[in-house]
Amino acid sequence: MRAPPGPFQPRFWKSPLRGPWLTAVLGSILLVLVGIVALTGFLSHLAYQPDLGRNALVDRDVPFTTFFDWPTGPSWLYALNQGLHVNVGLIALPVLLAKLWSVIPRLFQFPPVRTPAEGIERVSISLLVASTGFLFATGLVNMQYWYVFQFDFVSAHYYAAVVFVAALAVHLVVKIPVALRAYRSRGVLAPLRQSLAETVPEPDGDTLAVEPDPPTVSRRGLLAAVGAGSLVLVTANAGQSIGGPLRSIAFLAPRREGGFPVNKTAAGAKVTDALVGADYRLVLRGGPSELMLTLDDLRELPQATHTLTLGCVEGWSTRQVWTGVPLSELARLAGVDDASELSVGSLQPAGVLRQATLARNQVADSRSLLALSVAGEELSRDHGYPARIIVPGLPGVHNTKWVGSLDFRA
Amino acid sequence: MRTRYGSSPLHLLAHLAALALAAWALLQALQLAGWERIVLWLVGAIVLHDLVLWPAYTTLDRLARRGRPAGWSNYVRVPVGLSALLLLAFFPVICGKGEATYMRVSGQSWEGYAGRWLIVSAVLFAAAGALYLVRSRPGSSS
Repeated sequence: MRAPPGPFQPRFWKSPLRGPWLTAVLGSILLVLVGIVALTGFLSHLAYQPDLGRNALVDRDVPFTTFFDWPTGPSWLYALNQGLHVNVGLIALPVLLAKLWSVIPRLFQFPPVRTPAEGIERVSISLLVASTGFLFATGLVNMQYWYVFQFDFVSAHYYAAVVFVAALAVHLVVKIPVALRAYRSRGVLAPLRQSLAETVPEPDGDTLAVEPDPPTVSRRGLLAAVGAGSLVLVTANAGQSIGGPLRSIAFLAPRREGGFPVNKTAAGAKVTDALVGADYRLVLRGGPSELMLTLDDLRELPQATHTLTLGCVEGWSTRQVWTGVPLSELARLAGVDDASELSVGSLQPAGVLRQATLARNQVADSRSLLALSVAGEELSRDHGYPARIIVPGLPGVHNTKWVGSLDFRA
Repeated sequence: MRTRYGSSPLHLLAHLAALALAAWALLQALQLAGWERIVLWLVGAIVLHDLVLWPAYTTLDRLARRGRPAGWSNYVRVPVGLSALLLLAFFPVICGKGEATYMRVSGQSWEGYAGRWLIVSAVLFAAAGALYLVRSRPGSSS
């Protein structure tokens, strides 16, 4: 049987740069980058503490959930985690495209499958490419508020990540020997020393062109162009993750407005005047009897002030000076001295994130506050007036706004 | 075993282990609401890259290089590539796709993304042009 025309013909491929060494270099760089993205992704899943209360956003019975208590320090821990997840993901995108380019002749190999081993490898490669593309595409559109996919982002992104990890692991088992062979025969860095005039095709490998064109760029030139791609993408976004004056440099970041960004407005959360007006009461439960506190009662309790970073899962962050009542103080008042859990309820009438459950270490940390003011001023309605949670290192949306009830468990 | 299967038993076992785990995750995903769209996005990722994105940039690159001296094309394809990469990654903000949602949740307006992308692209093209001018002057080393 003859191969179809076009890319199925070996003579279609012209690049003198494609070869096992180039693929090994791109693959090695990509492995480090996607390793960071995957690790921070799964850490973010743990930071939501899916084993507590109704925190789980993915089916709570899934394995590999909680191995340790998410720490409360440093306060920028979650902001760093998500800053890495999103920005290293952006850095990885050009490397991913270059890596796929370097191996794409294999897609059009003819006949497509010669042995059962090749067949099963093709299935795992399809899963790897599909899950990688899915994770990058859904991550990018989700951080830009374009919910065009119309499925539950968190669960789908999580399960696609499991597919990705499985497919990547077996890809590494098969391809690490190939990469090591390329490094051993050609040197790890030696091909980078070749100028354009010295650039010749690699001696062997299954992605080599049979009739290569003369090179138009050296291998180091190609890697530099990929690096420039990573640099422009991360420059366009990273400022929103770091915050402060760098925010305005992030020319395409979704959260580049100055000041203190609002994740969700009171109007958007349907928090009305009646809910947070003069009739506002905070309900404390868990002790021998329920306690009802007015906003003035809260203002008369001991206050603490701390500078803490609020980090959003979308990869932006903000550092603010918060003043309010320590959660440990409220636990004592409720009659639960050493609370093992705290379920926080919002006055917000609907939404998955209208409640969150905190762990023992988070309630006990002296910097965990029921904040009444930020930057020296009473909380604005959009930032959670009359009272909101701020816990160091906690994912942004678990710092519940418009707090209506605190349920302490002994 | 090796001759008929085409590789070692380790190859087969590693694949079976990975495929079993991947199958579990896919079955979990298929129970979610909108599972058909999840499948569509998984398949779409392969189709869009392998049958749209890669053929498009390869064809454009071949057309752009046809008949032109080597060393000329990099001054064009690097800035064009960078500009296209920004558009690919930030298409939703540049084209205002998430604008309504963003304004509802944040209370902020959503302005100037397309303009900033165009300005950055203009700077990239101008920088490449300036570099070409400097390097192609008589007496220049390259």
